[in-house]
Amino acid sequence: MNNLKTANAFVFNAEIDANYLNSLYGDDYNYMQEVFNTVLDEYVSLTDNIEFSHSSGNLAALKASVHKIKPVFGFVGLTSVQQQCQQFEQICGTVSSPDQLSGEFEALKNKIFQSKLLIEEEKKKLELFNSNCS
Amino acid sequence: MSLSCIIVEDLQVAANYLKNCCEKSGQVEVRGHFSNVTDALSFLNSNTVDLIFLDVEMPGANGFELLDQIAFSPKVILTTAKSEYAYNAFQYNVSDYLMKPFTYQRFIEALQKIQPSKETISTNSASDHIYIKTDGKLIRLNNDAILYIESMGDYVKFVTMDGKKYITHNTIKNLEEKVSKQHFLKVHRSYIVNLHKIDDMRENLLFIKGNEIPVSKANKADVFRRLNIV
Repeated sequence: MNNLKTANAFVFNAEIDANYLNSLYGDDYNYMQEVFNTVLDEYVSLTDNIEFSHSSGNLAALKASVHKIKPVFGFVGLTSVQQQCQQFEQICGTVSSPDQLSGEFEALKNKIFQSKLLIEEEKKKLELFNSNCS
Repeated sequence: MSLSCIIVEDLQVAANYLKNCCEKSGQVEVRGHFSNVTDALSFLNSNTVDLIFLDVEMPGANGFELLDQIAFSPKVILTTAKSEYAYNAFQYNVSDYLMKPFTYQRFIEALQKIQPSKETISTNSASDHIYIKTDGKLIRLNNDAILYIESMGDYVKFVTMDGKKYITHNTIKNLEEKVSKQHFLKVHRSYIVNLHKIDDMRENLLFIKGNEIPVSKANKADVFRRLNIV
């Protein structure tokens, strides 16, 4: 069965850095499914923290909450979103209020929302792939 | 090598991944995962571990505050991406940084940096004396001259019969393995006592030449076993 899994390698969405995921998990697609699951489980609380810190005008908390979610994108191969978070953190260090970040914040917020849909979609694909391989 | 560790990390996916790396390595036993400093501290008040994988930024107290409050000196590997913690990390003798997410190979490299502490003590557990390094010299202390040894974070204090105190860079955990088992017993995570010097014991306290030494619940049975109770 394992041979079948190796022969029919999973194809990730182009936005996901498959090589990076391979460096983390090898070809253990069951474990990847677990990781995607866990990420989705804690996604809402992480994004709620970002929303709350922004709406309450707390720049330090906004920076910290973006810092907190940043590695999550790495765990699911969304390295470009991880970089976007990094850039946002850096910009936070150059302003005195979240109001000065409205453009950057909206862009990041949209990216985070789109990423959730993508992670959900990939999780479903992984579930199907793994069930076909078992 | 077999290391016991805890993971202090509020990001579930990171904690799970770290657990997976530990299991895969066969070198590290995970004794607990805590998502905040308070819970980790509660565990470490009655347990010791060789290694802590520690996130710095967590809700409530940060990771360094945990290190401030524990009574022993485990190895520490930070799981954070912020280089601004470098100075603190140096102060706390952190062994390595792991930037999340890290590869398994990188995890193994971090483990390889966990080496046994450089010995500051020369001893043979069957010997009647030890040498400690303090103030730039090696000083001989006869077992019979030592009353007790007390932890002071990364240092320990030897208290002797003549009232002198010698401070040296070491840990209770390391010394426990080095000192003569005939003479010495760890009675608390912060204390090793010379069994031959105990004057009396009341409740959870040992009295040695006017010094009160706490006995932990975990060590109390050992103390009773070693005392010559008739």
